[in-house]
Amino acid sequence: MNVRRGLPRNAFILMMLAPTTVLLLGVTLFPFITALVMSFTNYSLIRPDELAWIGFGNYANLLGSTEFWQALRVTAVFTIVAVAVQMVLGAAIALLLHYETRRSAWLRIIYLLPMAITPVAATFTFRMMFNPSLGVINHMFKAVGLPPQDWLGSPSTALFSLLVVDTWQWTPFIMLIAVGGLAAMDDEPLEASQMDGASFWQTLGHHVLPMLTPYLAFALVFRSIDAFKTFDIIFVLTGGGPGTLTRTLNLLTYKHGIEFLAMGYAAAISIVMLIIAIVASQIFLRRLKLLQPRQARI
Amino acid sequence: MSGVTAIDIHARVRLYRTRSVVGDVLRRAGLAAFAVWCLFPVYWLIAMSLKPEREVMSRRPKIFFFEYQFGNYAEIILDPNTLSYFFNSTVVAVGSTALSLAIGVPSAYVIARYRFRGSSDFAFWILTTRMSPPVAVLIPFFVMYVTLGLSDTHVGLILAHVAVNLSIVVWLLRGFFEDLPYEMEEAAFMDGATYFQAFRHIALPLALPGIAAVGILSFLFSWNEFLFALVLADETVRTVPVGIYGFIGFQTIAWGNLSASAVLMIIPVVMFIFVFQRSLIRGLTLGAVK
Repeated sequence: MNVRRGLPRNAFILMMLAPTTVLLLGVTLFPFITALVMSFTNYSLIRPDELAWIGFGNYANLLGSTEFWQALRVTAVFTIVAVAVQMVLGAAIALLLHYETRRSAWLRIIYLLPMAITPVAATFTFRMMFNPSLGVINHMFKAVGLPPQDWLGSPSTALFSLLVVDTWQWTPFIMLIAVGGLAAMDDEPLEASQMDGASFWQTLGHHVLPMLTPYLAFALVFRSIDAFKTFDIIFVLTGGGPGTLTRTLNLLTYKHGIEFLAMGYAAAISIVMLIIAIVASQIFLRRLKLLQPRQARI
Repeated sequence: MSGVTAIDIHARVRLYRTRSVVGDVLRRAGLAAFAVWCLFPVYWLIAMSLKPEREVMSRRPKIFFFEYQFGNYAEIILDPNTLSYFFNSTVVAVGSTALSLAIGVPSAYVIARYRFRGSSDFAFWILTTRMSPPVAVLIPFFVMYVTLGLSDTHVGLILAHVAVNLSIVVWLLRGFFEDLPYEMEEAAFMDGATYFQAFRHIALPLALPGIAAVGILSFLFSWNEFLFALVLADETVRTVPVGIYGFIGFQTIAWGNLSASAVLMIIPVVMFIFVFQRSLIRGLTLGAVK
């Protein structure tokens, strides 16, 4: 399209992108470069005067340590299970809502409550509910004759309990995006296929899910990024324990950076995390062709 | 399907949708179960805010029909800090939402509509700003803020929240703009509109429901954000989540005060969602114009 008046095309594009670029660069560039530079040093707040450039020393130590690979495994399990469960549950609830004839405003509000409540308060409420002796969950377990559990302290239930809290908190986000996608859906091909005798599951597989894909992919990308760097609920509920069974990479960063004040080493962990996130999301976005805009026509 | 009238088709579609009573019951059971799942922890929080201290710490927690009192609420409401926490939260959430939209909407539009070199790399770079683990970024972030005099200022916290939320704002809005029909802008160009006029007078009004929905989400995220608020804000801009955190001591937790403030914090949000839930859902249809 050739537009003769006003700003030239490229100047217009620059003008529209400039504020975002300036703000994001301004806020993220310095912390990123600081972390990157620190990761090549032995900088420690305990011995700041021994500061030295050690090249890839931190990275070599990190990749050679068992705690890194263990934390990576915990992070991967937590992220994959949490996101998978939340995607399925969120999409399922959105579908149930979509086919429900009686639309209730209250139901929607109830479903959004976990997102509306501040995570600090929600996490501490869960800590209270999971409490082995005072908690309401064990109380209900005992009432129906099940053995009480040390939910956050036992190796067999700690990760599970964290996944429960994360799923409670974030399924509504997936549901909300999916509800939006379903509402945007064109019902006509769907009804036509039903008239032709397609079963509910066939319609779902051939029409509904393909139309939902871009929405679910969006939810998947953001939820995966956020789940990968989950910190607060793990920190408050288990602190990475029992032992190191729920210690994710982010908690490992915390341990080295904030507890041991080994800033260089902690920075190296976070750079590795960033690389993992970038590589994983590049693969995913390219496969789903989400990077190229669908309608770039001007 | 000769001889089938439109009325027949509608009747059949309706028949299909309600074809089985069992399906109906199962669907509603599923919806109800999910409602209980979402509601119970919130209910428990409210219950804790109403129970007297010894009841909260009871070994036999009462789920219903517990003894209740409003002392925690009275304490929170009479505490002069509460008002300033709520004021700060509101200023920061409204300010960061407005700024995110003001700078995010134009970028999202250009990324969605214009073909230019590096456009997908630019979109990806915006996404990467969400990837850096907060724990690692916080310390240099804090140092930078102290140097620039931004720590413990409203502007500083607003900018931090914009940085946190801009990725989701731009990516969601990009979806809306991609789904908008291009024909109207094309017609506007034919009539001699500039690039900016096509954006301002054609695309922007069409995208408004979507922009509103993204605004609501961004508001929620900022209203509840904790980590940056904790590190970057001191006395002057302490927000409600940070205030709530203050009830958590090293040994004991003031459950009554904690839960009462958290409940007070949900009330405006629930009212907000109640008023806007329709536009929230409509907006999230990514601008599909039928």
